[in-house]
Amino acid sequence: MLTVATFKKGFQRGLTTTWNLAKVIVPVYLIVTFLKYTPVMGIVAGFFEPLMHFFGLPGEASLVLVLGKLLNIYAALGAISTLELTGREITIIATMLLLSHSLPVESAVSGRTGVNAMLMTGFRLVISVISGLVLNLVL
Amino acid sequence: MDWLGYLSEALPGAGQNVLMMAAIVIPVMIVLEVARDLKILDWIAQRMSPLMGFFHLSPQAAFPLLVGIIFGIAYGAGVLIEEARSGRLSWKDIFLINVFLSVCHAVVEDTALFMAVGANGLVILLGRIIAAILITYLISRTAWLQRENLRRGVPGAVNAAGGSGNKCC
Repeated sequence: MLTVATFKKGFQRGLTTTWNLAKVIVPVYLIVTFLKYTPVMGIVAGFFEPLMHFFGLPGEASLVLVLGKLLNIYAALGAISTLELTGREITIIATMLLLSHSLPVESAVSGRTGVNAMLMTGFRLVISVISGLVLNLVL
Repeated sequence: MDWLGYLSEALPGAGQNVLMMAAIVIPVMIVLEVARDLKILDWIAQRMSPLMGFFHLSPQAAFPLLVGIIFGIAYGAGVLIEEARSGRLSWKDIFLINVFLSVCHAVVEDTALFMAVGANGLVILLGRIIAAILITYLISRTAWLQRENLRRGVPGAVNAAGGSGNKCC
């Protein structure tokens, strides 16, 4: 049944998610922007440049991938908006991240339903890498 | 270090980001709540259930699968655990639903958020769905899965934790 409560519940859920998002996005945004003002970003970017090249991404994008894989999508979103990336680059990163993110947490969850967590993590990382390579060729 | 430059870039940027996310997440959550209360998913799941054979899944797998795809793993797992307890899903069903959902879940929220920062929504959504279908199909055809399924018991008679002996939740 559709009532006012439905909309209220949706609104509240939206607020809660926004708050959870803000708790991650704001610090990540502040830290990544800070790194841009120091030589650290250039060093990290330079180091990963050759690897990121396979996915058609700039070196800085490695930071977004690491944040997304280890923390979550929200952290990655915070970092993406700090960097100047093209639509194509963002689409490639987004696909790579959506296929595998928050690996420590999500593997633990699937582990609880009786699935081997290590296997699942390895498997998602492989798919993510393949999708990056493929999109770089196709897009 | 140019602190003034830093602060004048970082603070408004962070604030703007959060506002943009709020503008996306709140409507998405309202739409999802409406879909849930109108039981739209039950209706779609019913029509999807004949297709489950493609993945060697039982027809009852359609609902938890759909819930996970639309609402996310947390909700999907909730439905999954309930269905498994009632004995309507086999270990194989649970395993394959997990495989599918680990690649493709919460598509409405995730796609909207990445579109907001400039990604191509069609590519990221289709990419995920195609990857999930391909992988689940391939795994559903492996000899390993058939063996494990036999080893873990007859379909429909598996405990809630997926036969792993895990007594949590």
